[in-house]
Amino acid sequence: MSIMDYNGGSVIAMVGKDCVAIASDLRLGNEALGISSNFQRVFPITDRIYLGLPGLATDVTTLRERFRFRVNMYTIKEEREIEPETFAHLVSSTLYEHRFGPYFIEPVMAGMSKAPSGGCKPFIAATDLIGCLNFAKDFVVAGTASTKLYGVAEGLWEPGLEPEDLFETISQTLMNAVDRDAFSGWGCVVHVMWALIAT
Amino acid sequence: MNSFVERYSATSAVGQLRKAQRLTEEEEEFSDAAWGSQAGFGNIMNGPPSFTVPNVRDPAAFLRLHTDDHADPNCRIKIQHGTTTLAFRFQGGVIVAVDSRATAGSYIASGTVKKVIEINPYLLGTMAGGAADCQYWETYLGMHCRLHELRNRERISVSAASKYLSNLVYSYKGMGLSMGTMICGWDKTGPAVFYVDSDGTRLKGDLFSVGSGSTLAYGVLDQGYRWDLTDEEAQELGRRSIYAAGHRDAFSGNTCNLYHIKQDGWTFIGNYDIAKMHYDGPGDVPGAPGGGYGYDVRLAAANSTEVAAA
Amino acid sequence: MPAMVSAAQPVQRSFNPYTENGGTILAIAGADFSVIAGDTRQSEGYSIQTRYAPKVFRLTDKAVLAVNGFAADGNMFVKKVRQRLEWYRHAHAKDMPIRAIARLIQTMLYARRFFPFYVYNILGGIEEDGTGAVYSFDLLIYFKNQTPAPGTAFPKHLPLSTVLPLVIDSFTSATERHIEVGDGLEIYIVLSKGSTALQSLQTIRGIQELTATNDGERVFVIRRELKKD
Repeated sequence: MSIMDYNGGSVIAMVGKDCVAIASDLRLGNEALGISSNFQRVFPITDRIYLGLPGLATDVTTLRERFRFRVNMYTIKEEREIEPETFAHLVSSTLYEHRFGPYFIEPVMAGMSKAPSGGCKPFIAATDLIGCLNFAKDFVVAGTASTKLYGVAEGLWEPGLEPEDLFETISQTLMNAVDRDAFSGWGCVVHVMWALIAT
Repeated sequence: MNSFVERYSATSAVGQLRKAQRLTEEEEEFSDAAWGSQAGFGNIMNGPPSFTVPNVRDPAAFLRLHTDDHADPNCRIKIQHGTTTLAFRFQGGVIVAVDSRATAGSYIASGTVKKVIEINPYLLGTMAGGAADCQYWETYLGMHCRLHELRNRERISVSAASKYLSNLVYSYKGMGLSMGTMICGWDKTGPAVFYVDSDGTRLKGDLFSVGSGSTLAYGVLDQGYRWDLTDEEAQELGRRSIYAAGHRDAFSGNTCNLYHIKQDGWTFIGNYDIAKMHYDGPGDVPGAPGGGYGYDVRLAAANSTEVAAA
Repeated sequence: MPAMVSAAQPVQRSFNPYTENGGTILAIAGADFSVIAGDTRQSEGYSIQTRYAPKVFRLTDKAVLAVNGFAADGNMFVKKVRQRLEWYRHAHAKDMPIRAIARLIQTMLYARRFFPFYVYNILGGIEEDGTGAVYSFDLLIYFKNQTPAPGTAFPKHLPLSTVLPLVIDSFTSATERHIEVGDGLEIYIVLSKGSTALQSLQTIRGIQELTATNDGERVFVIRRELKKD
C-alpha cells in the first residue's frame, strides 16, 4: 500500500460566484483500522485563506506548523496579510525544497484574493507532493478519494454557484465520493467563504 | 524436477486437471449442454467439474502472476478480500451475521453484497476471501447435499457437509483457491458451526469470526457471549459485533445481514445499515437497547441525562 | 565442446495473454426497466484502437450484457454466452430468463478459474416477475444487487426520465477526466411488459427499437456522441 493511503483522508475545494468552499473528511486511520473520527486537516491560514492537507498525518502536523511559521514571518516582514496567490507559491516552494525526500501531502487551498477594484475574488489551487501548482478555475481535489471526487464533482459542479448552492454542491460531492472510498469518511467538515463586497 | 514430475504425474492436482481437460476436450464435440440447459451446471453433472488450465509449465504460478495483488499491486485481476463474517452457536440455535462491503483496493466496489450463501433451508455458508470460490463451491456443495438427501433419505449432517467441502478444496491445494468460510446448520446433533478454509483446515467450534474485521468482531463477541443467551440477546450480539467491525475496519461496512438457524431451518432476520446503527441504532428490533451504538452518540445521551439529573 | 556451452544466463520468459482495452460500462435497474450503457472507445495504453467497438450486447429481449476489460476475451465470451442461449432456445422453445443467464455466466466464468476470462460483466434486464434487475460479475462470479429491505428506500425506483440524463451525464463526466472513455455512447433500455416508461422514450432523438419477439418486453438503443479527444 502506498504511503499516501496510510492514514486516509480527502480534501476538495470549489469556486462559486464570489465565493469559495473547501471541505474534507475527518477520518484518521492506520491503514484499514479507523483511529479517529475528528481529525482536522483543513486549517485557517489567514482570515481569507484555508489550507487542506490530505496525506500522511505526521506530515499534516509538521507542514501545518511550518506554514504557520512561514506565514507569520511573511506578515512581520511585509506588514500585511499574505495573498492567496502568494501563499500558493509559498506552499509550492516549501514542498519543492524537499524534492528528493518529500512530505507525503498534496495540499489543497481556497481563499478570497483582493481584486484591484477593492472587492474579493475567489481563488483555489492544489499542488502535488513536490509542489507542482494547479490553479484550477472550477474545483481541485486530493487524497485517497480523489478519483471518486473528480467523477462526482465533474457531474455536479456548475459555474456561478451562490454560497448556499456551493455548500450543497461541495457537500454532496464529498459525501458521495467518500462513500465509495474505504479510507475516507467518518464525518466531514465544510468551509464556505464569500465576499461581503463583490467585485 | 518438481515441475517435471507434476507435468507427467497422473495424481498431482495439475495432472488431474489436465486429465479432466483432455477428457472434456475429447468428449465435448457436442457437449450435453448443447442439448439442454443442464441447470447451468452442465459441466458438473458428468462427474467432477473440469476447469480450463493455461498450457504453461506451472498454471498456479501463472494464475498467481495475474491475480495476486500482494505480489504486484499493478496486476490486472483483483480478488475481493476485506470482509467481516461471524457465526456462533448457542442454546437457541446458530446466529450468522456478515457485513456487505466489497472492496477492490481502496475502492468500495459494492455495498450490497450477499455474503451469506443459502446452501439449502438448513445450511448456511459464509463468504470471506475469494468471493467466487466461496459462492461457486458452496453452491456446488448444495447440489451434493441434495444428492445425499435423495440417496440416503435423510438430511446431510453439518459435519458431513463441511467435510465434503473441506476435502474438495483440499484437493485443489496449491492452486490458489482462497476461502474462509463457516458452514452452519442444525442437524440431529443440534446446532453446529464448522470453520473450513482453503488451506484444508476444518474446525468444529462454538464461535468463529473470519475476515479483515474479525478481530474487532471477536472483541464484542467474546465479552457478550454465553451459551444461555436468549434469541433476542444473541441476535443483538451478532448485529452489535458486525457493527463494531464495520465501524472500525475500512474494508468492512455498509450493512449487516443477520440470520438465525433454529431446528426448523434458517430465517433471515434483517438487514441493518451500519451508519444508521451508529447514530440511531438498528431500529425497533427485539434485543436492541434503543439509541445508537456509537461511542460519542451514547456519550452524548449519557451527558444529557446527567445534565437533566443535575 | 565450447560450441555446446551457452554463455548466456538463463532467461525467464513469461506468457501474458492479457491486455486492458479500457472503457466504461454501467447499468441501472428501475422498478420496471433496466438501462445498460457503455462507451465505444477501445484503447491500449495511450493509443485508440478504434472509436467504435460495442461493449453492450442484446442477448434476448429480456437481457442485455455489457462486457469490459480485455476486448478479445470479452467478444469471445459474448459469443459463447449467445451460443448457450441459442441451445437453450432449441431445447426449451423460449428465451432463458435473466436469473438463469446470470447463473450460466457464473458457471462459464468459474470454469475458467485457473485461466480467467479477463472480462468484467454487467447483466441488465427484466426478471420473470417484470421487475428491473442488474447483476454484476467479477472475473469469476456474480453479485445480484441486493434488494432493499421492505419499507426502506434503496434508490431502485427512479423513473426512466431521471435515469437517462443521469447516465448521459455520468459518461460525459467520465469522458472529461478519463483518457480511456469517449468517442461514442450506447445506451440500451429494456422495458418490462406494459412499462409506463414507454411514453418518455417516444420523444428521444434517434432512438431505435431492437425488440425481436412478441413476449412483451421491449429493447431500445440510444446512441450519442462523446468527446473524441
